[in-house]
Amino acid sequence: MVSDFFYPNMGGVESHLFHLSQQLIRRGHKVIVVTHAYGNRAGVRYVTNGLKVYYLPAWVGYQQATPPTFFSFFPIMRNIFVREQIDVVHGHQALSPLCHEAIFHARTMGLRTCFTDHSLFGFNDLGNVVGNKVLKFTLSDIDHVICVSHTSKENTVLRAALNPQDVSVIPNAIAASQFAPDPGAPDPNWSGYWRMRAQVTIVVISRLVYRKGIDLLVAIIPRVCALHPKVRFLIGGDGAKRIDLEQMRENCLLHDRVRFIGSVKHHDVRNVLVQGQIFLNTSLTEAFCIAVVEAASCGLAIVSTRVGGVPEVLPPHMIYFAQPEEDDLVRAVDQAIQAAYLKKVLPTRQHAEVKQMYSWANVAERTEIVYDRITQIHTPPFIERLRRYYGCGLWAGKVFCIMAALDLLFLLLLDWWLPRETVEIAPNFPTRKYKQASERGDHGRTEQRVVVAI
Amino acid sequence: MAPPSDATTATAAKAVFRKVLYMKQAYPDNYVDTTFLEHFQQNATIRVHDYWTTVQDSGVILQHGTSILVFVALFIFLYTDQVSALRLIWSGALLTAAGYVFWDVGMRKLDPSFSYARTALFIFAMLLGLSPILMTLTKDTSSDTIWAMTVVMFLANASMHDYGLGERAGIQFSGTMSTNAAIFASVLLASRLPTSTHVFALMSVAVEWFALFPILRRHLRRLSSHHSIALTCLLAIVCTAMYYYISITLMLIYVAACIFVTFVCPWWLISIQKYKNEIHGPWDEARPKLQRQSAMPSH
Repeated sequence: MVSDFFYPNMGGVESHLFHLSQQLIRRGHKVIVVTHAYGNRAGVRYVTNGLKVYYLPAWVGYQQATPPTFFSFFPIMRNIFVREQIDVVHGHQALSPLCHEAIFHARTMGLRTCFTDHSLFGFNDLGNVVGNKVLKFTLSDIDHVICVSHTSKENTVLRAALNPQDVSVIPNAIAASQFAPDPGAPDPNWSGYWRMRAQVTIVVISRLVYRKGIDLLVAIIPRVCALHPKVRFLIGGDGAKRIDLEQMRENCLLHDRVRFIGSVKHHDVRNVLVQGQIFLNTSLTEAFCIAVVEAASCGLAIVSTRVGGVPEVLPPHMIYFAQPEEDDLVRAVDQAIQAAYLKKVLPTRQHAEVKQMYSWANVAERTEIVYDRITQIHTPPFIERLRRYYGCGLWAGKVFCIMAALDLLFLLLLDWWLPRETVEIAPNFPTRKYKQASERGDHGRTEQRVVVAI
Repeated sequence: MAPPSDATTATAAKAVFRKVLYMKQAYPDNYVDTTFLEHFQQNATIRVHDYWTTVQDSGVILQHGTSILVFVALFIFLYTDQVSALRLIWSGALLTAAGYVFWDVGMRKLDPSFSYARTALFIFAMLLGLSPILMTLTKDTSSDTIWAMTVVMFLANASMHDYGLGERAGIQFSGTMSTNAAIFASVLLASRLPTSTHVFALMSVAVEWFALFPILRRHLRRLSSHHSIALTCLLAIVCTAMYYYISITLMLIYVAACIFVTFVCPWWLISIQKYKNEIHGPWDEARPKLQRQSAMPSH
């Protein structure tokens, strides 16, 4: 697994990597994560269940992504791939140059490669055009691609000109046990005060930025508050648009109805979610939207804009859709509030349903099928790689070919200078022993200490 | 989409494939359905350009380019003493006054308190006071540097100028950066002039020409396209005539550039339209529709 994004950084890709790795380890695979160093978290570390993480020394650029270095990671990556006896290199997230480089070098070394795309990209601005060219470069020579939703698959196939047969759709998942509903959680001062009619809390947790549709949120909150005097909003997250929201709260005198709780740590998300009855998502673009699944698992009714892959994520009875328009969103929120008054959502049942739909075990199982398939494909000869890169574009194709050739020469140089035989093979983590020891609990640890003492 | 064993595919193959993730379907994960890319749109928002409309619209660029060249020509006349500074000041002031009356009458919004006139008077008084300073401001810099900087600043002015109708900002100065660049270029040029009267003449013309004249051009364009075309032709003729006195070569280059911008470029634009490949689909970032237009979001 290679990506710029891993713990201690927090986010969707990070938790995807972590949970998928855990499940693959459980299924008996050896999994290594390669990412870049985060502050003083550098070198080789072990995390839960002996998952080994290589934190490579690298400059960190924009939003925790490393700047592209083209060839400079090759020696260290070759070393890791050889020493850990890697068969499949699986890169994550298109915005991670580290992932592109790893896939590129792995192909030069003749390893199987796989790539998971976590986001959607447009086709109509300069940044996207450059990003899509890089993606095309990496993906023109790859064994398989995984996308998190059908919309994302269509997007990736178009961006990288892939054969749709080589793209699998495997959704994200959630650790459902961490997102269980809690009927006692809603704020008693708020929901129990007026016995006449239950109070409704609408939860919003997202980064407060333009792409998450915060302008829509700013527009609809005063209207919803005017329509329903017993509704309040709980807004988690931070970002550039928080100022707009706070300004709206000042202007409309909604201090008692709209509460900001700032950015929410991932393990606190559930505790925030269970305080509400409705989860509101106003995103303008979204490949999968794990947030709505988490909220649904906590037993909340969902209101969301109909964008990107969101319509594929939940069945219609759990979610109220609206166009990304102010009026339509007010209508959908109104519907959800009416339903909440009637207590139409049964949190425990909904939780059980969501648990059925998304689990990491299932994701790992399906990813395993992809791995099995790609290990059966024979590696194409070098000239075939060049042919694939050449088709990337009039100029880009030639540049990519030069890069591929240089990379091969670099590999030959490395093989001569630091022969593979001199690379020490890392011992495998004793997963089974570790599991037995941890099952035995503290006892195992004391035993170990005795051994050391002898 | 469970892992496909042969048995499940055989029994449930009839079930229609649905583009959803919450159901386990009897299709492999890399299944490609007939509905694949059904919401894909190509060149949906494309606008077909008509040649003569494009030619007409290109007049805006010609107007702005020409106005920069006219200003440079005026500087050359001042520099070589072919035009007296006083004459330039008076003709500039008269034209400004005429333009003001025209704009005021056109907008039917008479200004009883003379606030615009007072502002203008204040600005010009300040310019007059600052002229000696402006004259010596960049005197120590070598002329080569000044010419090069001026060219760069005028290019910046041309590239950042608001060629639109300026509808959003009303009658306010559009493109502050572009105006600033032009005024800076004028200050640079002014330092090459001999007396502070010359400097005042050039600076007052610069303010009229780069801050006020674009407003008049936009106003004319809003009135009717005929007015705008007439102004374009007038400007082009004036510019050609001015460069006729400066250098025949420059004049010929100018005329060639005019023809290129007005007639060749629109044809070029239309001929490369067939290569346009715009892709839209459900993955596009949605544009939020809000009721209040003033609250249009910014990125």
